[in-house]
Amino acid sequence: MRIYGFLGKKVGDLTVKYSNFPESYVKRSYEQVYWKNPSNYPQYPKAQIARKQYRFTTNRPWTGQFRLQNDRNMHRKKVFVEPVGEWSFFKGDRVEIMVGKDKGKQGIISQVIQERNWVIVEGLNTHLRVVGKDKKFPGITIQSEAPLLVTTDVKLVDPETLKPTEFQWRYTEEGDKVRVSMASSRIIPIPKSSEETMDFKSKELYIENVEKDTTADAAVKVTFAPKLKTFEMDIMEEMGIKEDRVPAKSYWY
Amino acid sequence: MNTAVVSNILKYTVNRCLRAQNVIKIAAASAPVFKRDVHTTKPNNDLMEFFDVKKNWGETNIRVGRGWRLDELRIKSNSDLHKLWYVLLKERNMLYTMEHECKRQTRLFPNPERIDKVQESMDNIETVIRERNVAYYKLETGETGERPVEDVVNLFGLPEKYEKKEHFIPKFMNTRWVKSYYEHGFVNSAAVKKFMRLYKEKQYNVERKARNRDFNHVQHLLKRFPNMDMEALKAEYPDVDIEKAKRTKKARGHFMPKY
Repeated sequence: MRIYGFLGKKVGDLTVKYSNFPESYVKRSYEQVYWKNPSNYPQYPKAQIARKQYRFTTNRPWTGQFRLQNDRNMHRKKVFVEPVGEWSFFKGDRVEIMVGKDKGKQGIISQVIQERNWVIVEGLNTHLRVVGKDKKFPGITIQSEAPLLVTTDVKLVDPETLKPTEFQWRYTEEGDKVRVSMASSRIIPIPKSSEETMDFKSKELYIENVEKDTTADAAVKVTFAPKLKTFEMDIMEEMGIKEDRVPAKSYWY
Repeated sequence: MNTAVVSNILKYTVNRCLRAQNVIKIAAASAPVFKRDVHTTKPNNDLMEFFDVKKNWGETNIRVGRGWRLDELRIKSNSDLHKLWYVLLKERNMLYTMEHECKRQTRLFPNPERIDKVQESMDNIETVIRERNVAYYKLETGETGERPVEDVVNLFGLPEKYEKKEHFIPKFMNTRWVKSYYEHGFVNSAAVKKFMRLYKEKQYNVERKARNRDFNHVQHLLKRFPNMDMEALKAEYPDVDIEKAKRTKKARGHFMPKY
């Protein structure tokens, strides 16, 4: 049967990681399925009518703004995104800007939008935007950062020379995959803030929901002991259910 | 026998009338017969267990952790998994109820991703239990103990995974089961052949369109990003002949050729 590849794997891994949602939720929150054939009936092929192209922008796929931008009647020009292979720009990385009015300045990546090969550098490459303008009120002017392409517009900064540099992914002797600067052969470490999600800054700083969450101690406790029993046998024995009836002969076809 | 039936009917009718008149008395009198323990949990909670605790009703954000992963479930004993399954099942029921109630009141259901987290955990529990059972059966009988699945050609002539069913009589005795094959014709019938021809044509067109679409896309990418990482491009579009795409007019870009 035909598999609808156009709906699969559109949202970047880092986006899912940042959202801290299950992938299935991210998918069902952004995709627009208008009709789906009932499943498990031989007379219906596995077909559906759904939106095929989504415009990914700085709005995250699970938000209402994304939904508004990809409204049912909204059709926008196709965007060509250069394939980059392995993604190598993470939140918290120091980069130098190679284009625009802030060319030559260095800054920290504050947001990664993998679907468009974009990063947003904190406080750089900005424009002024007037919000809340009214007949009576002149509005407030805010600075907002524009996204930059990782392929041409930014370069990682070498930790030793503090100059923009090319880099490669290599393996250390311990087998870890690291980014190595070509200018000084130094490892460019992946910053701690790349672990940040919508819910917590880092895994250690997550505050448990006392009523709903299992405590970490209970989750890592090993209670498994191998037994020569199936799951059902084990549970029946524990609950004192005795079953000595012999099932009748049956045929599988 | 007839009288027994009549007397039974009479008895039940009388019972029903009595129940309507005085429920409490009957219940008290026949308590040891009819009383059933509905609750297996320690606190005898009521139907309100289908709802979240009252504190969370007006909340807009109920943040919870992630779901259970396979590796975390593999270290848990069978009874732990059994208990966890029912915890998750109750949570899922609660979430569905709350979602329905929020819909009814046209309010926003806070954190709907909780349903996915619970569902993912439940799927993982099933996977782990299946792994354990398969290990047991493979050791004891040499078979997986799973429901047998066979690759067959179905009535449309299409390949299908047929999940076998359990029957009390063997296949050659089961005329009803075989009848559907006789009635609908065999895989070699003219109708099936015609269907397959058209189906294959449709499949071929889908593939052809996908191929052309990819080729066009690569051409446009080459036009826009001539200095692109070609290995990454090849990895993303393995079926496209990139050298051929480079030579085309569409991939050239808006500049005069050097030669």
